[in-house]
Amino acid sequence: MTKAQAKTQGTPAPQAETELALQGAWRVVVLNDPVNLMSYVVLVFKKVFGFDEQTARRHMLEVHEQGRSVVWSGLREKAEAYAFTLQQWHLTAVLESDEAH
Amino acid sequence: MKRIEVKLALPVVAPLLDVIKGMADSLRRNLAAPLGLTDLDAEFGSAWTDELMAAQNEDVQTLLALFNDEFFADGVIAFDEGNAEQIVRATAAVRLRLREYYLKPLGDETLESGNVELEQLDEPLRKAFMCYLFLATIQELIIQHLDSSILES
Repeated sequence: MTKAQAKTQGTPAPQAETELALQGAWRVVVLNDPVNLMSYVVLVFKKVFGFDEQTARRHMLEVHEQGRSVVWSGLREKAEAYAFTLQQWHLTAVLESDEAH
Repeated sequence: MKRIEVKLALPVVAPLLDVIKGMADSLRRNLAAPLGLTDLDAEFGSAWTDELMAAQNEDVQTLLALFNDEFFADGVIAFDEGNAEQIVRATAAVRLRLREYYLKPLGDETLESGNVELEQLDEPLRKAFMCYLFLATIQELIIQHLDSSILES
């Protein structure tokens, strides 16, 4: 179902909109912190996302230099699982809906 | 099993342990990094936090267990595949807590660069910063020598 269909099919619109929002693409964004070592962040990216060294370093440098890096995008449920795992490794991650961009 | 033993200078490290234990106590009640997801429903968010806290506490206990009788006898601590991952996470947690409790006056840029004149710091701040550096050294050692164990576990 598209978002337009959800809006025209009546009640319960708020619930339908919520479900649709959760079904769309979500970005996992890692935010910079001044504490965690660069080598640690690279290790976490390799461990959590299976990145190779070069990709992990690129994302780490993005976080370091730009304050944030989009490390994954896809369904909300999996994005939440990644955010949880990053939190276990003490990196700060937020989820952003692709529709917001 | 790959194992690293590190001999530490007891007179330098032992005085830092009280600070590390204080941060460990504080981590019993607080997540080291702020919860990034604020739109979780209350019940789910609470379950999430409980699970994260339990894992964090387990990691921190593994870190504290390094400083056992063997350490106080000869200054040796040991890392292997069995504790590397938990210790690397615990050191990150304690370092984040040290920033919250003690190191914010230094400013984030200074903290990131590490350019600090230790002699110019007052005693509590100097001790906290030494802990911060000590834990970073442990982390670097593990990442340098046991990263494959962590990645494959």
